[in-house]
Amino acid sequence: MYVVANMNICQGHARCEDICPEIFSTDDNEGKVVIAQSEFPDDLLEKVRLAVRNCPEGALRIVKGGKA
Amino acid sequence: MIVDFDFFDIPRGMSDPAEIWHGLVRKGVPPIFYTPRNGGHWVFLKYIDIVEGYRDHQLFSNHQTPIPPIEPFPVMQPQGVDPPDHNVFRKLLAPMFTPLAVRRMTEGLQHRANTLIAGFADAGGCDFIEDYAAKFPTATFLDLFGLPEERLPEFIALANIFFRSTDSQVRAMNVTDIYEVLDEMFRAKLREPGHDIASAIVAARDEAGGRYPWQDILNCGFLLFVAGLDTVTNTMAYVWRYLATTPEARAHFRGRLDDPAAFQIAIEELMRISAVSNIYRRVMRDCVYKGIQFRRNDRVVLPNMVANRDPAIFDNPQAINLDRKVNNHLTFGVGPHRCMGSHLASGRS
Repeated sequence: MYVVANMNICQGHARCEDICPEIFSTDDNEGKVVIAQSEFPDDLLEKVRLAVRNCPEGALRIVKGGKA
Repeated sequence: MIVDFDFFDIPRGMSDPAEIWHGLVRKGVPPIFYTPRNGGHWVFLKYIDIVEGYRDHQLFSNHQTPIPPIEPFPVMQPQGVDPPDHNVFRKLLAPMFTPLAVRRMTEGLQHRANTLIAGFADAGGCDFIEDYAAKFPTATFLDLFGLPEERLPEFIALANIFFRSTDSQVRAMNVTDIYEVLDEMFRAKLREPGHDIASAIVAARDEAGGRYPWQDILNCGFLLFVAGLDTVTNTMAYVWRYLATTPEARAHFRGRLDDPAAFQIAIEELMRISAVSNIYRRVMRDCVYKGIQFRRNDRVVLPNMVANRDPAIFDNPQAINLDRKVNNHLTFGVGPHRCMGSHLASGRS
């Protein structure tokens, strides 16, 4: 499983960072999301899914298999 | 389609101003309606329409939007400017308010809070708004701008007139006064730069290496002065009243001091329920939108406190659930103009 971000619509709410800091942080320049590892382990699926659902801009997406 | 509704008309003693909006929803008024009050404006009531309004900056401009209209009104940078020009000052200021930048401010903010509390601790009580909630954000502004603490009363007085006066002449004079203070401050920072936001703004250069226009610098200062004061004071008042009257909520926070993720989830819920900003936009062209005829320059209100309690989006929206797992509230807006100071406001650390 992979998680990807649409950087054009990310506005740096940082909700993903709050919920799953293992995978998400924000850059210190524009404050937009930084994904530490796009391919994440299965045991983080619930947290990543919650982070995706909490993105107010709908900028995050989980992709099965290869990178989108 | 037309409803006689004045959103400044909050009955005395109403403890939750969101009720004036939810009363409308319960009455079954159309989800987009027009009121002739306050210069005439549209109101959006559905979360999904409000989000669309925020995102569609080509139809809904952020330029010259106050309701009732105030002319002339300063163009706040970057809040009052639409993309792509908006990006110039957004990019300049955003790094000063990222989650990491806010983490670096935490110690100073805690020190400020402790100092204010020490001022009334011995008395055993205080007027929460006057002694704490009004002072804290203004003092924070002084810290960020590298101004001495002695100027607190002066800045509180300026902010009070800006947010409380209903006299248009007094308000116009007040805006002039604020700009004079900002002008003097930025000039001092040019001569003697410090490690503060005001110094960073005057020192900034555009892509060609040139200075930014002085008026834009003042407009940035004006935005930073007004954006983070009353919103913070009012939100604090609602949040602390809730905590003061709800022992379970206090226990909830006390029990999660070592669990930042859970703590943040609870804070987001208090942010959702305590939204205080009603945001304005201006229609850019004549058009039919969702079956409604809009005219160029029509004003639109996007009430966050209605969006945040839309049952189509939030389960049991009127209840405060400090464990709410999915919480895409609009307290800080959404889209390109999303609140830049949100990480500072929600006390991320």
